[in-house]
Amino acid sequence: MTNTMTISKEKKEARIVSGFIYTFLVLLAIIYIVPLLWVVITSLKDDSTLMLSPWAMPAQLEWGNYTFAWTKGHLGTAMLNSLIVCSITLVVSMLFGSMAAYAIAKLRWKLSKLAMYYFLIGMMIPIHTILIPLFVQFSGWGMSNTLIGIIIPYITFSLPITIYIMVGFFEGIPNELFEAACIDGCSVYKMFGTVAIPLAKTGFMVTGLMSFVANWNELLVAMVFISNEAKKTLPVSLTKFVGPYHTNYCQMFAAIMIAIVPTIIAYVAFANQIVEGLTAGAVKG
Amino acid sequence: MDKLMRNKKAIILFIAPALILFTAVLFIPVCKAVYYSLCNYKINYQPKYIGIKNYVMLFTKDKTMAIAFRNSMFFMVFSIVTQLVFGLILAALLTNIKKGRNLFKNIYYLPCVLSSAALGLLWMFVFMPRLGINQMLASLGFFNGDCTLGPQWLFATDGYIILPIWVISFVALWQYVGQSMMLYMAQISGISSDIYEASYIDGCSKKQSFFYITLPLIKPMVATAMSLNAIGSLKFFDLIYNMIPEGFLSHKADVIATHLYTQAFKFSKLGYGSAIGVILLVLCLIMTVIINKFVKTESYDM
Amino acid sequence: MKMKKFLAVCLSAAMTMSLLSACGGSAAAPAAPAAEPAATEEAAPAATEEEAPAAEEASGEVQEITFMIWDDLEASEDLITKGYKNSVDRFNKDFEGKYHCTPITTNLEEYYDKLNALVAAGDTPDVFIASPGANLNDYAMTGVAAKLDDYLNADGWKQTFTSDAVFAGGTYGDEGGDGPGIYAIPLNIAAACVFYNTEMFADAGAEVPKTFSELLDACQKLQDKGYTPITISAGTAWCLSMVAGYLCDRNGLNLQDIKDHKTDWKDEKVINAGKQIQELSKYFQKTAAGDDNDVATAAFYNGEAAILIQGSWAIGQINGSCAEGFADKVGVFAFPAVDGSSADPNRVIAKSDSLCMSATTQYPDAAVQLIKYFVDDEASKYTAEVGGKIPVTNVQYDEKVAPPELKYVMDVFKGASSTFGFYNESLADTEAGSTFDNCFVEIFKGEDPATALDPIEDYYEMNVWE
Repeated sequence: MTNTMTISKEKKEARIVSGFIYTFLVLLAIIYIVPLLWVVITSLKDDSTLMLSPWAMPAQLEWGNYTFAWTKGHLGTAMLNSLIVCSITLVVSMLFGSMAAYAIAKLRWKLSKLAMYYFLIGMMIPIHTILIPLFVQFSGWGMSNTLIGIIIPYITFSLPITIYIMVGFFEGIPNELFEAACIDGCSVYKMFGTVAIPLAKTGFMVTGLMSFVANWNELLVAMVFISNEAKKTLPVSLTKFVGPYHTNYCQMFAAIMIAIVPTIIAYVAFANQIVEGLTAGAVKG
Repeated sequence: MDKLMRNKKAIILFIAPALILFTAVLFIPVCKAVYYSLCNYKINYQPKYIGIKNYVMLFTKDKTMAIAFRNSMFFMVFSIVTQLVFGLILAALLTNIKKGRNLFKNIYYLPCVLSSAALGLLWMFVFMPRLGINQMLASLGFFNGDCTLGPQWLFATDGYIILPIWVISFVALWQYVGQSMMLYMAQISGISSDIYEASYIDGCSKKQSFFYITLPLIKPMVATAMSLNAIGSLKFFDLIYNMIPEGFLSHKADVIATHLYTQAFKFSKLGYGSAIGVILLVLCLIMTVIINKFVKTESYDM
Repeated sequence: MKMKKFLAVCLSAAMTMSLLSACGGSAAAPAAPAAEPAATEEAAPAATEEEAPAAEEASGEVQEITFMIWDDLEASEDLITKGYKNSVDRFNKDFEGKYHCTPITTNLEEYYDKLNALVAAGDTPDVFIASPGANLNDYAMTGVAAKLDDYLNADGWKQTFTSDAVFAGGTYGDEGGDGPGIYAIPLNIAAACVFYNTEMFADAGAEVPKTFSELLDACQKLQDKGYTPITISAGTAWCLSMVAGYLCDRNGLNLQDIKDHKTDWKDEKVINAGKQIQELSKYFQKTAAGDDNDVATAAFYNGEAAILIQGSWAIGQINGSCAEGFADKVGVFAFPAVDGSSADPNRVIAKSDSLCMSATTQYPDAAVQLIKYFVDDEASKYTAEVGGKIPVTNVQYDEKVAPPELKYVMDVFKGASSTFGFYNESLADTEAGSTFDNCFVEIFKGEDPATALDPIEDYYEMNVWE
C-alpha cells in the first residue's frame, strides 16, 4: 500500500514538473512566433493606421504593399540575384572544396597536412579584415557592382568549412573501396567521380546547406560592393526601405515578408534535415 | 594503387583551384590590409606610408573605438555566457520531454536561418519609442497609459553599457540560441543511454545525472559552441546596422565591425579602417586560442 | 618533370579562371562601360541644341549615360524626386534613339559612399546629384566633376537662371581641378523655416516670435495649454543640427573664422548656441531623442505639436499626405534672432540640390542636355507648383496652384540678406560634419556645452588646423 502511494506521488510530481516544462517551452515558442506573425499582420496594413495602432488587426488587407515591394522595391530582381549568387557559390565552392578535400584526404603527398592547416586558418579570418583590400582591388578591375565581385569572396569564405567537413567524410571512406576501383582500372580522376563523391553525399548536403544559408543572408560584403539597384541581393535591398526623409513601414514589412518567406517555406518542409545538417556542420567546424 | 595516389599532376590539379582562390582572395588581401593599416589612405588618393600612426590614434585618441571595443567585448561575454546557460537548459529540457521535441526544437532554431538584416528591421520597429512594445505596454496600463513615458529601448545612452546594447544582445540571444541548443542536443543524444541507466541503478536522480554525467561529457562541445559564439559576436554587424539607424546615438552603440564600416566607407578612410580590421583579426585569433586552451577538449569515449 | 609541373599549374589556373569567368558571364552582365578617361570633346553644346531630337537622325549608336541620385526614382513618394523622374523620362522620350539615360539610385544615407566607390572604380556616373559643401569641393578639386562655365555661357543658358547668385554654392576650384568656376548646376532651393500651427498659436495666445526669448515665451504658453510646443528629431542628426546651425549663426559665428583657426569650437558663440538648445529642449516632445524624422514630422502633421523647424520640402509633404484642411492652418516664420547679438538675423539656411557632370564622361553633350531637362520651364514650374521648393530659373508659375506655404517661404527667402548652408555639410569634411551633429545631440541630452564640444575641437586640432 505505502509502496503504491509513493509511486503515485512520484508520478504526480513528475506530471507537475513536466507541466512546468511544457508551459515554459510554449511561452518561449510564443516569443519566437509572435514577432513573425506580427510581420504578417503589419505587412497588410497601411502606414497611417500602423502609426496609430501598431498592434491592431488590419481593417482591410493592403496587398498593394507586396506589389510595391516586389516591383518598385526591386525585391523581385533582388531575389533573382540572391538565387544566382548563392547557386553559383554553392556549386563552385562544393566542387573546388571537395577536390581539395580529396587531395588532402586521399592523395599522398608530403604537404597535405600543411595545406589543411592553411585552409583552416581561413576559418578564423573575419571577412571585415579583407573587405577594404578586396574592395580596392575589385574596384580597380571593374568588378565592383557586378555579381561576380561578390561571388568570388563568397566562394572563398565557403571553402575552409567545406574542405574541413569533406575531408572528414572522405577519410571515413575505407581505402579498400579505392583499391578495388584501382584494380578495375579506374584513374585517380575517375575514382573521385565514382567512389569519393557518391559516398560523401551527406557531406555535400551539409556543406551546401551551410554555404547557401550563410550567403543568402550575407549583408556586409554585398552592401559594400553593390550600389547598382539591378545587382543588389535581398539583404541589401531590404535596408533601402528605411529612408532618411520618409520610411513607409508597412511596405518595409511586406519586404521583410518577401525576404523571409522562401526560407521559412523551405524550413517548414525540410526542418529536420536542415537543423540536423547545419548542426552537423557546426559540430564538425 | 600507391603510385596512383602519388600522381603529382593529379594532386596539383585537385588542390590548385581552391589554393589559388584562397591565396588570392584571402591571404594576399590580409597582407594588403596590414600594409594599408600602416598608411594614410583616403579613397580616390594613393596610400601614403605613415608607420603605426593609425594604431596610435585608435588606441589613444579615438573615443568611438574605445566605446566600440567595450561594446564588442560586452557582446562577446554576454553571448558566451547566456548562450551557454540557455542553450544547455533548452537542450536538457528538450531531451527530457517525450512529446513535441521536434516541434519545439524546430521553432527555436528557425531564426538562425533567417536573415539578420530582415530580423533587425523587425526588432527596430518593435523597440521604437512610441510604437511597438511601448504602445502595447501602455495599452495594458503601464506608464500611466502614455507610451512616451516608456523606456527608450534603442535610444537611451545612460550607463556603462547602454540600454540599446542590452536590447540588441537579447535579440541576438533570441536569434542564435537555437544553434547552441542544437549543438548541445547533438552531443547529449550521442551519450549512450547505458551510462544513464547505470547511474539510475546506483540511485542517481535525473538532476544528479545531468550534473555528473551530461555536463562533463559535453565539455568538448562547450568549447566548440563557445568559440563559435565568441567569433560570431566579434564579427557582429547586421543586427546593429539595421536596428540603430545611421546617425542615431552618436556612435555610442558602435561595435568594432560597425566602426570599421563607418570609418572606411562613410568617411572614406581606408587606411584607418584597415587598422580596425587588423585589430579585429587579432582579437578573433586570440579568442580562439584562449578558448581552446582553457576549455579542455579531450573527448571521452562514449 | 619541372615542365610538367608548370603545365599542371597553368592548366588548373586556367580552369579556375575559365570557371570563374563562365559564371561571371552568365551572372553579371557587364556594368557601365569602363570609363576610360576619354578626351573631353570641347564641342560647343549649342550644336546639339539645333539638332532636332528625332529618332531617325540617330544613325549609329545611342549615347548611353548614367545619372546617379539619392532616392529611388521609381518608388519614392517624395514630390521633388517624382519631378526628377519626370525630367529623366522626358529626356529619354525626346531623345529616343540618340541619347539614353539610366538612373543609378541609392538611398541618401549611402549616397556618397556609393558615389565614391564608383569614382574609385573609374565608373563615375556621367551626371550625379550633390549638395554643395565639403563633398562637392573634393570632386571639383580632384578632377571628378567637370567645370561647366563653357556650357553655361554657350547659348544663353546662364541667363535663364534668376541670378548669378544661385551659382554661389556650386563655385569651386580655387585650389585645383580646372581652375575656379562653376562645377554644379543648382536645381532648386529649399530654405529652412519654422512652420507653425496657427490654430494652436491662436488658442494659446502665442505670438509669432521675432527673438529667441519670444520663441521661448510662445513655447511656454503652448505648453501651458497642454500642447507639445516643438517636434524635432534628435535621432536623425541633420534635424537638430539645423537648429544648432541657426543658433550658431544668430550668435554671430563665422565658419570661415573657425576654418582659419581665428577662433575655435569653444568660442562663446558656440557655447551660447549650446545653452540655447538646452533651454529650447524643454519644449521638445518627450521622445525627441529616439524619434526619427518621419515620426517627428508626423507629430506636426497629425496636429500633436505646434512647431516644426524644417526645410521647405516639408511643404510637399504637408500638401501631399496630410489630412484635408491641415495645409490652411500652417504658417511660416523665419528663425528668430538671438537677443543681444549683433549678428544679422536675416540670414537663411538654404540648400540646393545640384547636378554635376563627370569630368571623364564620354558624352558631355548628352550629359549637359540631361541637366538642362532638370531646369527647363516644365521642371521649374513643377518644382514651385507641386514640389514646394523655390525655383532657380526665371519661370512663370501659377501662384494660385502653388501651395500657400510656398508664398510664406518665398517671403522669408526674399527677406533674407544672405544664405548659408547646413552646418554639417559646410564643415571641413563629412566626418567633421557628423562630429558636429553628435556634439549637439550630446548637448541636447544635457551635457555641458563646454565639454560636449571636445570631440569637434579635437577633430579640428588633429585634422584641420595644421
